[in-house]
Amino acid sequence: MILLQVVVGGLLLGAVYALFSSGLTLIWGMMNVVNFAHGDFVMLAMYVAFLGYTVLGLGPAWFIPLAAAVMFLFGLLVYFALIRHVSRGPMLAQILSTFGLALLLRYSAFWVFSANFVTLPDTLVGGNFAIGGLRLQASRLVAGATALLLTIGLDLLLTRTALGGRLLAVAEDRAAAQLVGIRPDRMQALAWGIGAASTGIAGGLIALFFYISPTVGESLALIAFVTVCLGGFGSVPGALLAGLAIGVIESLSAYLIGPVYQDVVVYALFVLVLWVRPQGLLGRA
Amino acid sequence: MSRRFTALVVVAVLLAAPLLLGNAFLQRVAALVMLAAISASAWNLIGGYAGQVSIGHAVFFGAGAYSALLVYKLTDWPPIAGAPVGVAVSLLLACVIGLPTFRLRGHYFSMATIAVAELIRIVVSNWQFVGAAVGLMGPAVPRSLADLSFLSPLPYFYLFAAVLAVLLFLTWQMQRSRMGFYLGAIRAGERAALSLGVPVLRYKLLALLLSAGFTALAGSLYAVMVGFVDAESALGILISVQMVIIAALGGAGTLFGPLLGAAILIPLQETTNALFGGGGTGLTYIVYGAIILLIARFRPGGLLELLHWRRRRVA
Amino acid sequence: MSPEPLLEATGIGKAFGAFRAVDDAGLAVREGEIVGLIGPNGAGKSTFFNCLAGDAQPTAGRIVFAGKDVTRAPADAHARAGIARSFQVPVTFEDMTVLENVMVGAFLRQSHRNDARARAREMLEATGLTRLADTRAGSLGTPGRKRLEIARALATEPRLLLLDEALAGLTPTEVQEAIGLVRSIHARGITLIIVEHIMEVILSLAERAVVFNQGRVIAEGPPRAVVDDPAVIEAYLGRSMRRRTAPP
Repeated sequence: MILLQVVVGGLLLGAVYALFSSGLTLIWGMMNVVNFAHGDFVMLAMYVAFLGYTVLGLGPAWFIPLAAAVMFLFGLLVYFALIRHVSRGPMLAQILSTFGLALLLRYSAFWVFSANFVTLPDTLVGGNFAIGGLRLQASRLVAGATALLLTIGLDLLLTRTALGGRLLAVAEDRAAAQLVGIRPDRMQALAWGIGAASTGIAGGLIALFFYISPTVGESLALIAFVTVCLGGFGSVPGALLAGLAIGVIESLSAYLIGPVYQDVVVYALFVLVLWVRPQGLLGRA
Repeated sequence: MSRRFTALVVVAVLLAAPLLLGNAFLQRVAALVMLAAISASAWNLIGGYAGQVSIGHAVFFGAGAYSALLVYKLTDWPPIAGAPVGVAVSLLLACVIGLPTFRLRGHYFSMATIAVAELIRIVVSNWQFVGAAVGLMGPAVPRSLADLSFLSPLPYFYLFAAVLAVLLFLTWQMQRSRMGFYLGAIRAGERAALSLGVPVLRYKLLALLLSAGFTALAGSLYAVMVGFVDAESALGILISVQMVIIAALGGAGTLFGPLLGAAILIPLQETTNALFGGGGTGLTYIVYGAIILLIARFRPGGLLELLHWRRRRVA
Repeated sequence: MSPEPLLEATGIGKAFGAFRAVDDAGLAVREGEIVGLIGPNGAGKSTFFNCLAGDAQPTAGRIVFAGKDVTRAPADAHARAGIARSFQVPVTFEDMTVLENVMVGAFLRQSHRNDARARAREMLEATGLTRLADTRAGSLGTPGRKRLEIARALATEPRLLLLDEALAGLTPTEVQEAIGLVRSIHARGITLIIVEHIMEVILSLAERAVVFNQGRVIAEGPPRAVVDDPAVIEAYLGRSMRRRTAPP
């Protein structure tokens, strides 16, 4: 029974991983740039949510959309101020730019918020559910369900709408998209906006049940990399599946081996994926 | 001819400078510049010349540093005897990272380097055998010259300068040879390189092995000088970041770029640390982040590009 | 002329998912020939070409070069076997000089720097690039880059050179110069396969033309005869004719 509890907890957490990893995979698929600051985007969103609660007195129904909106704009800013200028340049510049951004964000947060952990009161989305003997925290349940729905929503946006079609057209062939009247620059900016907004919502959701600290983004970034690699480059359904799997694996290893080694298991899984199935679960060969 | 003369003068001044400084703090900084230049020049082989950006080189540095003090702890041999062990471990790790990712395109290699570096860091900081959170110590009192334990920073400066000279000479030879041309081609475009018969995978791996080996050597030298390692000081992300930033600041893929970068960054960092103490670490990272970002955005060629318009002339 | 073809590709297929870009295409080239591949856009000739160069792996069929099966071999092995190529959109090593670019090619057969440089200089001479030897490749215009790609490919000392629209985007004068260059390469004893849009080039250079349409070879023969073939005319004009005659 405890094992089932651990698995369900892992699935709920995994849905949140899937949500922000979808943002990473979208950007990567669109323009072959990896955002090494992706985990720190989530960290930033967590602080936005925290400030929304403590300074503005907002509830979760407001501070999560606020975090999404702030991160959307931040994504656009990063695209126009930085990525646009390096995306066609040497790979060194691409990697250094987002990696430098990651350090800047992470340690500026240190400077501003100090290294201390902060948390939102756990009564915000309070209570526990008991479903057939499973005891689940309401906050985790809300976070997992919301993230799951939004990840599916993002996939539908990409595959079922005209806007999604234009985004994917740019991902497929930039020059050809331009010929049929799509502006690649706008679409890429939008991908950064959407990708960052996904970290905004995910950050807001994680803040409901997890502590907030400047370095929390470091392990989240690695989780996003593993998720994207396991799910397959550019695939949102792949990220969903992989996110859920990683949530479960992480929870199980924390329970069975000890919480210190949960990250180790995830990183080892990453190296294993690279060796055994680099194209990911749903990726094209 | 005059260029060669200038170079000789520069080298002579650099070598004599610490003697003239006579100040232990400055001499120590000079030794640290040499050490940082070794590891950044080693990083430069794969990150600069081959254009495969590693952001987890601390794993090789740490392998060298830990091996030195672990060999001392287990056998009582001088720490430097652990250097070959460190190099061997590094080569193995390089294969684990490089073999799968060099077949894939783009960023997989970079991501794998961070993942492996973090993995090893967490394991080491929880593993009693290698000192876990406490770390490992070198000999408290030097027993013989082989312990390479000196009070003055000067012997370290000359030791590191000699190793750096060997590394730069090898790099220079490499740069002028087929390998140098092939790495440049790989960095510029793998598809075109393959079409000219360049065995891309083999050369990337070769560059990574060379790079990992020398980085491990730098780690061993560090452990010999400091006489202490723990997970943060030998495997922390700051170590990886420093190699990247020093090489990129001076000029990635240039012979003297890393040395120039080290000569600028290390004195800066040591001064901030001396002024702010441990509290300066956070600030160091912010400044590093900003420097990396600005280099990437405005001057991906690094500072040396400002001095020579033509990056290199070897043909 | 040897009885065995230098290059023989049989039953080549290349599928991307459900889409078959090349389907059961074949080609045999004798030593010393110049063969032109033509066809409308999207006919699969570039994909076929990439299979020959080892840049793409065919999903069906067999490619034999100089008696050796190279079907599954990667691009670098093709180069070592003696197949060199140019790219439709030139990919030069921008930060290197023109000479250094060509030296990368020359290093395939020369292990010493001085030999590679001598070989590279020879190739620059042959392609008329000597004057630009110390220019950064990134600062060349399109004609210069195309020439550089050819010089670089020649430096690998190939037996077969694959040119992918090496003359596209050139002015008429430049086209004439390039035709002269291709002739001089042929005179060195190198076999050539050229993909080209400009019919004039095929007519004046190729001894044999192979026409692709919808992933298949639909005609083959002397260029003059091929362009008069009704199936070829249909392939080139068919779609636009149909569109024009289709009811609104």
